[in-house]
Amino acid sequence: MRLSPAPAALVLAAVGATALLARNVTSLAILAAALLVLCLRAPARSRALYLFGAISTGLSVFLLSPFLWVGGGSVLWSGPILPVLGPLDVTTEELAIAARNGLRLSALGLAFSAYALLLDHDRLVAAVPFARRSALAVALATRLVPSLERDARGLAEAVRGRGVVLSGVRGNARLVSPLVAGSLERASNLAEAMEARGFGRPGGTRAPRPAWTSLDRVALGAASALVVAGALWL
Amino acid sequence: MALARVEGLTFSYPGAAPALRDVSLELAPGERVALLGPSGSGKSTLLRALAGLVPHFHGGRFEGRVEVEGLDTRTTRPAELAGVVAIVFQDPEDQVVLTRVANEVAFGLENLSVVPEAIWPRAEAALAAVGSAHLHGRLTAELSGGELQRVCLACALALRPRLLLLDEPTSQLDPPGAERFLAELEGLDAAVVLSEQRTERALAFADRVLYVEEGLLLLDAPQPEAIRWLEQHRPRYADQALEAPPASPGSTVLEVRRVAYAYGGGPRVLEAATLEVARGQVVALEGPNGSGKTTLAKVAAGLLEPAAGTVRRSGRAGYLSQDPGRYLVRERVLDEVAFGVGGDRGRAEAALEAFGLGWAAERHPRDLSSGERERLGLAAVAVAEPDLLVLDEPTRGVDPDRKAALADWLFAYAADGRGVLVATHDRGFPAHRRLSLAREEALVAV
Repeated sequence: MRLSPAPAALVLAAVGATALLARNVTSLAILAAALLVLCLRAPARSRALYLFGAISTGLSVFLLSPFLWVGGGSVLWSGPILPVLGPLDVTTEELAIAARNGLRLSALGLAFSAYALLLDHDRLVAAVPFARRSALAVALATRLVPSLERDARGLAEAVRGRGVVLSGVRGNARLVSPLVAGSLERASNLAEAMEARGFGRPGGTRAPRPAWTSLDRVALGAASALVVAGALWL
Repeated sequence: MALARVEGLTFSYPGAAPALRDVSLELAPGERVALLGPSGSGKSTLLRALAGLVPHFHGGRFEGRVEVEGLDTRTTRPAELAGVVAIVFQDPEDQVVLTRVANEVAFGLENLSVVPEAIWPRAEAALAAVGSAHLHGRLTAELSGGELQRVCLACALALRPRLLLLDEPTSQLDPPGAERFLAELEGLDAAVVLSEQRTERALAFADRVLYVEEGLLLLDAPQPEAIRWLEQHRPRYADQALEAPPASPGSTVLEVRRVAYAYGGGPRVLEAATLEVARGQVVALEGPNGSGKTTLAKVAAGLLEPAAGTVRRSGRAGYLSQDPGRYLVRERVLDEVAFGVGGDRGRAEAALEAFGLGWAAERHPRDLSSGERERLGLAAVAVAEPDLLVLDEPTRGVDPDRKAALADWLFAYAADGRGVLVATHDRGFPAHRRLSLAREEALVAV
């Protein structure tokens, strides 16, 4: 039995909120690990970019913040004193804070990844009782990531097909502008197709969808409890 | 009474020359109309005018009058015309809104305020009508181009339009897929206007033919009379048969032996594929949608490393992807072509002239028409004069005259001692040798 998309999105939002509220590194690590296991249910090809983004940003915060924030007295490593940055010491307290912030960021990223990879966005849009156009815009923006990835692959292939090798950040950065231009063109074509199918007419109906199950209600209750626990004890 | 009436329509996109000039015509209920003409001649603009997208969505200068079921398209928004009119565009990927097939078909019905209880039955019936009921629960992102195009047709049919407009809907389909697609239109009550570049299909389908060139409606006649007119005035539109000149094959430029390939740990899309291309030769690689033609073309060009088997090339390879107009990377046409030859403007200018694009050197590539962009893509690959030129579906959406010109150019390119491999659905595209790639068998000569 599976959760309906709207309760599932609310549960993921609750887990994200818990990650922001929790202070205990172990609790955060458990949250992040649980979300990672959830994301691994998505097909390998589609999840790779999301997982890379979520984990690498958390890792970057963990690695950089001890050098950018100064605090604590238990020095583990003493580095040089640099202008502007000050002493490059690493303390136990700095590492703990870096781990907390890194895990928070990764957990948030993984919660978004699970939302983007695993939920039925169509039913989410349908479940929103108001502002349907805005909900559809969010769903389309979520789908932008895989289509951008596909376009980026196509662009890179087209360039290699001409015998041009783009390497490094600077080389690949040359593809950003055409990628954005291509996305805008795609968005314009889609908008035209949507208008031709009646999008924007006043009124509108919804196709009947399955009602929430008891599992959905239990999951929402548990998610609310998790947020409270995150704020008070985790 | 006419279903649609176009009176003295002249239309220009913002800042451009007229795309349509003084076009007048009437469409009767239930008519089957083929709309023919070169790329950039105004066919798509005429379809968009009938759907009200011109001028509402695109802006521009609009003179004359277009009425559909008595509704003036200048005062009726396209969204309000939806249901009376439905349009299917060339590229299905650019028209899909939702992630699941059934929801996608239901989207238009929800917009049209169809009563909720009737939405799923109508969506199911439309999918069944195009032979795609089994796709109901699938993710749209997982469908092949052909499957997705049929879903787009189902989305249009679900609206039960009185006028169905199809803008090159079979350009991505293999021949059996295209024939099935057109067969699915046979029993419709709606009037159908079909814009197509594979003219034999359109002529067989239609009972009336329109021919547009440079924005002018040059021909509006019943099918038999139209065929006679085309044979006399635009013979390539009546008979697209092209012949390959004699080949004088030289040394081998590409040798692929028992190659296998799988994407990201998935099932193998190629198994034991073997092919050879000699210098001086144009080889056509055929096969149905999803048979692995594109994968094999990329392996041949060195863009993909095979999981098994060997690939030997003598010299450099160049690869022109499907829909090359989408993958342009510079902001000036001349720079786009010079990009492949280290900024050599002289060679780039010569290549642009060879493809009839010398006049556009200073333009932004995205300001060109789709046909011009495809030629630009080819110029950008060919400028480096690779020993092996691999092209993926180069005739997709290409008009008969340009297709003939492309074939001539490729044979001349091969005759200069280079090899050409063309992955194509187009059985009418000439080649010295044809190979067919089926899903579960190795390549066979045809």
